[in-house]
Amino acid sequence: MYKIASLLIALCVSIPIFAQEDPFQTVITPAFSPITWERLLNAGDEPENWLMYSGTLDSQRYSKLDQINISNVATMELKWAYQIPVIDRAETVPLVVDGIMFITEAPSNLVAVDAQTGRQYWRYDHELPDDLRICCGRNNRGVAILGETLYMSTLDAHLVAIDARTGNVLWDVAVANYQEGYSKTAAPLIVKDKVVTGIAGGEFGIRGFIDAYNAETGELEWRTYTIPGEGEPGNDTWSGDSWKTGGSATWITGAYDPDENLVYWGTGNPGPDWNGDARLGDNLYSDAAMALNGDTGELVWHFQFTPHDVHDYDSIQVPILADIQFEGRTRKVMMWANRNAFFYTIDRSNGRFMIGKPFATQTWAQGLDINGRPIRVPGMEPTYEGIMVSPPITGGTNWYSPGYSQQTGLFYVTSFDGEQEFFKRDEEYEVGERFTGGGGRYAQPMDAFHSSIRAINPVTAEIEWEFPIMPRSSAGITTTAGGLVFTGSADGYFFALDAATGEELWHISLGRRVHAAPITYAVNDQQFVSIASGNVVYTFGLRD
Amino acid sequence: MGFNSRFWWQWLLASGAISIFLFGLPALAEDAGNLYNTSYDIGQGQRYFERQCSRCHGFDAKGNDETGAPDLTGRLSRASTNVGIFNILRDGIAGTAMLPVAADLPDSQVWQLVAYVDALSIDPTNVNLSGSATSGAMVFTGRGDCNSCHMVSGQGGRLGPDLTRVGERRDPEELMSDLITPHEHVAPRWWTMKITGTDGSYREGLRMNEDSFSLRIMDNDFNLWSYPKTRIESAERIEESTMPSYAQTLTESDLDDLVAYMFSLRKEI
Ligand code: HEC
Ligand code: HEC
Repeated sequence: MYKIASLLIALCVSIPIFAQEDPFQTVITPAFSPITWERLLNAGDEPENWLMYSGTLDSQRYSKLDQINISNVATMELKWAYQIPVIDRAETVPLVVDGIMFITEAPSNLVAVDAQTGRQYWRYDHELPDDLRICCGRNNRGVAILGETLYMSTLDAHLVAIDARTGNVLWDVAVANYQEGYSKTAAPLIVKDKVVTGIAGGEFGIRGFIDAYNAETGELEWRTYTIPGEGEPGNDTWSGDSWKTGGSATWITGAYDPDENLVYWGTGNPGPDWNGDARLGDNLYSDAAMALNGDTGELVWHFQFTPHDVHDYDSIQVPILADIQFEGRTRKVMMWANRNAFFYTIDRSNGRFMIGKPFATQTWAQGLDINGRPIRVPGMEPTYEGIMVSPPITGGTNWYSPGYSQQTGLFYVTSFDGEQEFFKRDEEYEVGERFTGGGGRYAQPMDAFHSSIRAINPVTAEIEWEFPIMPRSSAGITTTAGGLVFTGSADGYFFALDAATGEELWHISLGRRVHAAPITYAVNDQQFVSIASGNVVYTFGLRD
Repeated sequence: MGFNSRFWWQWLLASGAISIFLFGLPALAEDAGNLYNTSYDIGQGQRYFERQCSRCHGFDAKGNDETGAPDLTGRLSRASTNVGIFNILRDGIAGTAMLPVAADLPDSQVWQLVAYVDALSIDPTNVNLSGSATSGAMVFTGRGDCNSCHMVSGQGGRLGPDLTRVGERRDPEELMSDLITPHEHVAPRWWTMKITGTDGSYREGLRMNEDSFSLRIMDNDFNLWSYPKTRIESAERIEESTMPSYAQTLTESDLDDLVAYMFSLRKEI
């Protein structure tokens, strides 16, 4: 019986293949050659591929492709759409490797499709327990690749290695115990032969860390806590035992500089978020950029944007690295538009502050001192009754990727000018329970506020131009050698701006909020641009 | 807030637990589902709510544009009994951001949460208003001329929200402030736009919807216009209501009657 059935299936499957013409223009599986560390180091030189979350190790999200450019972008049209089967918001940033696209889906799934047609090769559905602790939706933002293996974070705080040709699981390790409030949503970053990855759970009284796993075996190679332990320098910036539940999560992908051998990673809010009374002190290394030795994870320097934060101003942003002319010299910098509404240019070899100014409305600080430390406006801490502060909890910007163009030398960020009432509450820590100590409330409808794409000059920290959109956008940004900035909006548009002037060149209504960053790639010499909106991944190209 | 004193029950509402004791108990006794409904339980439920639910539904449980979490202080659309609320909390609402509470949360704590959610909405059968709904209906279409802007059950104007079920979403105090201070908290749907097009045309109307690249209005002749923003030369946005305040133009008893009438506008159950 079984034999007959399988014979029948075999027949059914084989008939169409022999009897029909090619359903697509290409059915040839594109050559898929292993992604070596050398290829990742030089990812910018193969712009037909999008090999990591932020495109390149410096996270610029700048592509050298210029087939689509300011003179023809207006003729872009839809090539294909891929519908994610689980209805949830898609924060995915796909990878493209030699004609194959890897898309992560909610809650923790992964699918491989033909990048030219959007049709599936294989899928991996990660099995999840039903008692997850997640703060902010069932998100996954993407994978990393090394060799022929994909690395994915999952909501139950696992790191899974998946065969890129079949979707088979090679290994699956628990990074932390999800029942204690840990979860994982961000794409890992490959550094040499290691998979560097962060952790989420800053609203659950976790103790954050950055981990590196052996790409081959899944063994933990190093772990660096983002809150110093007892006896370590900086532990005294937390009163009492508050360091044990201090949060400082690491839920977005960092960057890497091979010359410095430094991994740069942002850290989240100290916990409880809105009640700082139980954690007096600067609360190192929350709301900071940490620079770690790529081989050992040893902390080389740190820069804390918001000491003793009480507004949930996570420094969960993607660090952008570039070498720029600054006061007559070439400087190796890191650019950072922070959730606290200040933009910073920092020397990435030593963590020294160079320049910084607000890029969005803020009322909590008078400015930055010469070391880049905020000078606080007194009396802006959350209260039991509520106090109005700008930016609101969601920040002047947030986790969504900024971009940098090598052509214009400008830094692009999705910004929000808003305000919110901040409340404080008294809470006891309980394992696996939310531990936030308050919250916020908008006193006006969202439409009363403003979002915009802002282009910032990293030398002066001044805004060069802005393009207003409806609030509150959570779309990332990608730039190209075609002189373009691609991004999306909260009201479901995907659009292209002139990177030099901010002039709008093309837009299309996709109907549902854009929660992700675009990517661009090419197959058979044709350039494509992809973006997730709602739970669909749309891909565009020039009119044929 | 001088008009407050005219509603005896508002003072009770303001003092939280007492009002809940008065209004909540009879309803609870009916479906006999919740054994955890003392003021202590409601307080515990509130604590849990502030910690776990407020980030979406708001500290005041009035909902939030951004998360799509609805207002829980009026009639719920997915539950009409305490058991119904309990089921929503235990199971979540499939395919939405409304996830179930932690699986290991004991039933007793879920019931405390139910008690709190239940206490957020007042039971209309326990509200005594001084006005007369019947007289209010007459003021509405007569002296008040409210129906020139508002529809009730398919009859009336298009220049204001449909009031057919307004009693489910607004309590008497809110209805009174709608009449006296209409300019507070005007929803963006009812803002006014004054638009000069690049072709020199001028139009004025209610802001139906605005997005990053376009804008839609309804003018006073009910014409619907959709503008690409590139065709707009200049636009003025007025975030006030087109509804006048009736504090001076109607008598106190007219206002009380209108409130009673509007509070009675709800779906028959
Ligand atoms: C992540 C955001 C989020 C959180 C946290 C959340 N909710 Fe919700 N809730 C929603 C959304 C969105 C809906 C509407 C779902 C729908 O019907 O489309 C909803 C619906 C509801 C409803 C049904 C409303 C109706 O009109 O029928 C109730 C009751 C409710 N939530 C109670 C709670 C309680 C109690 C908590 C805390 C335990 C909570 N919610 C936590 C987002 C949230
Ligand atoms: C010129 C048109 C106009 C007239 C006349 C008018 N209204 Fe309104 N009304 C509006 C508009 C527009 C809104 C929505 C904006 C706001 O909240 O004020 C509104 C809002 C309301 C609301 C709040 C509804 C809700 O869903 O939140 C109530 C209640 C109300 N009106 C009652 C009345 C009554 C009673 C009268 C007559 C005494 C009246 N209105 C006369 C235009 C009008």
